[in-house]
Amino acid sequence: MARSDTAPGRGRRPPGGAATLTVLRLGFLALLILLWWLASANVPRGIIPSPAATTMAAAQLWSEGRLQTALGQSLAVYGTGLLAAIAVGIPLGALMGAVRIFGRTVDLFVFALAATPRVAFIPLIILLLGLGIEAKAVIVFLGAVMPIILNTYAGVLARDADLIEMARSTGASPVRIAIHIVLPGALPFLVVGLRLGATIGLINTVVAELYTAVTGLGGLLALYGNTFRMAEYFVIVLALAMIGVIVTEGLRLIEARLSRWQTAERP
Amino acid sequence: MIPAHVLLSGVSRGFGTAKAPTLALSQVSLAVARGEVVVLLGPSGCGKTTLLRLVAGLIRPDAGGVTVDGQPPQPGDGTAMVFQSFRLIPWKTARDNVAFALPRLGRAEARERAEHYLSLVGLSRFAKSWPAQLSGGMRQRLALARALAAEPTLLLMDEPFASLDAQSRELMQIELMRLMAARPATVLFVTHSVDEALILADRIVLMSPRPGRIAEEIAVPFPRPRWNHDTRALPDYALLRRHLWERLRDMVLNDPASDFHGRG
Ligand SMILES: Nc1ncnc2c1ncn2[C@@H]1O[C@H](COP(=O)(O)OP(=O)(O)OP(=O)(O)O)[C@@H](O)[C@H]1O
Ligand SMILES: [Mg+2]
Repeated sequence: MARSDTAPGRGRRPPGGAATLTVLRLGFLALLILLWWLASANVPRGIIPSPAATTMAAAQLWSEGRLQTALGQSLAVYGTGLLAAIAVGIPLGALMGAVRIFGRTVDLFVFALAATPRVAFIPLIILLLGLGIEAKAVIVFLGAVMPIILNTYAGVLARDADLIEMARSTGASPVRIAIHIVLPGALPFLVVGLRLGATIGLINTVVAELYTAVTGLGGLLALYGNTFRMAEYFVIVLALAMIGVIVTEGLRLIEARLSRWQTAERP
Repeated sequence: MIPAHVLLSGVSRGFGTAKAPTLALSQVSLAVARGEVVVLLGPSGCGKTTLLRLVAGLIRPDAGGVTVDGQPPQPGDGTAMVFQSFRLIPWKTARDNVAFALPRLGRAEARERAEHYLSLVGLSRFAKSWPAQLSGGMRQRLALARALAAEPTLLLMDEPFASLDAQSRELMQIELMRLMAARPATVLFVTHSVDEALILADRIVLMSPRPGRIAEEIAVPFPRPRWNHDTRALPDYALLRRHLWERLRDMVLNDPASDFHGRG
């Protein structure tokens, strides 16, 4: 039987492929560094350090081991808070979507909590948990968990009733339907939630390190910012940016791997 | 008398709100014997899909009773359904779509069974393709393989060949009849096509819309197997075909909700 060539193609590859994209991105990076260098040469009083000075500061911080220590502290806070947010947020959001009456009852309160700036809770958290890693991880958790809950919830609500009916007709149990139909269908929402959660979690890591016991990258940021050591300060900013890029790119790769069915070409 | 495999007695089912209710089925009674092929024929909206969903145990009647093997139907319990729109799982390969419909088998066994039924519908080469990579006709065959793989004793088919081209459609009809001869099952088959109904059915149930009712039941007397001779050449074929066609035409022309109302 002839295959129809008119069925909608679902390819969403960037034109030119991965290699072109890498070259374009590197080119853009070079442009940014050029602008940075121009700024550093023209802004008075050394407020903006030059790329060379920043690189040297980075090497210095690394050889002293300060960067590694701070990075380790920050990643411990960030990782703990984010993993806890995933472990709580996905099941809770899924439960809200699956048990309608539960979801309808609590979603209003989750929305209210999500709209309250989480910084408002910091004094309370410090009173309850002190200034250590527990308090910091909770601040990260509170920021990251909201988008994860809300997006999982939306993804489960958007489930395909026809597919679920098909699954029921095969005698599939509710658990089998959840694992094979509902959760994979919610994946695009889930990834958005995780990406937002990861970003807010990183912001809150810095906030927590500024407001509680001053440690980690956030601590160094405050230290160098307040003492006008701008080259070191820039190193910390760039380190934070790199964590953000690595985490969101990692999520994107996982998503691409899990949604090959959308982008695959006909064999 | 042999107890019926599928029995509907005085079944009514509505949809919608109290203000704007739709009576999809009204007072429908039907008995289907084990191994019988019953084709439901009728214009759009006469409740054919609703009837299949009731028999599958996916919805319950508002009034009356539905039994399969004397029991209220349980989804998946010896019953498989081919849906009007394929309802394939987009993130599963062809093979895993079929294997998914076999929740009672182990993983390896389900995959093996899936591959067997994929080859039966000519999709072996596409076992590892996703539905988005398949043509419309291939998707339909995949949906058919998924239902057959469950090796059901009751097969519910909702316009399963509607999106096939004429040749494929005829080949699939023959293939279905061969499969049913090899592994007998009771079949409830929905179609809009008078010819398809006459080729496949032991009995045709003609339904009329608004509310959905059974208008007429017609035994189809053609000898089986029907694939090794041209059933259409039989003199009764033209007679039955004409009768069914006229009944359907009258239903559509006399239905105030039809787009063709009063054009006779
Ligand atoms: N889930 C539903 N919600 C509301 N109304 C429905 C629903 N399912 C069916 N109906 C209504 O019930 C009637 C019968 O629908 P059904 O799908 O059984 O018809 P059908 O004979 O299968 O039609 P077609 O040939 O177009 O598939 C229609 O008027 C339809 O609008
Ligand atoms: Mg229908």
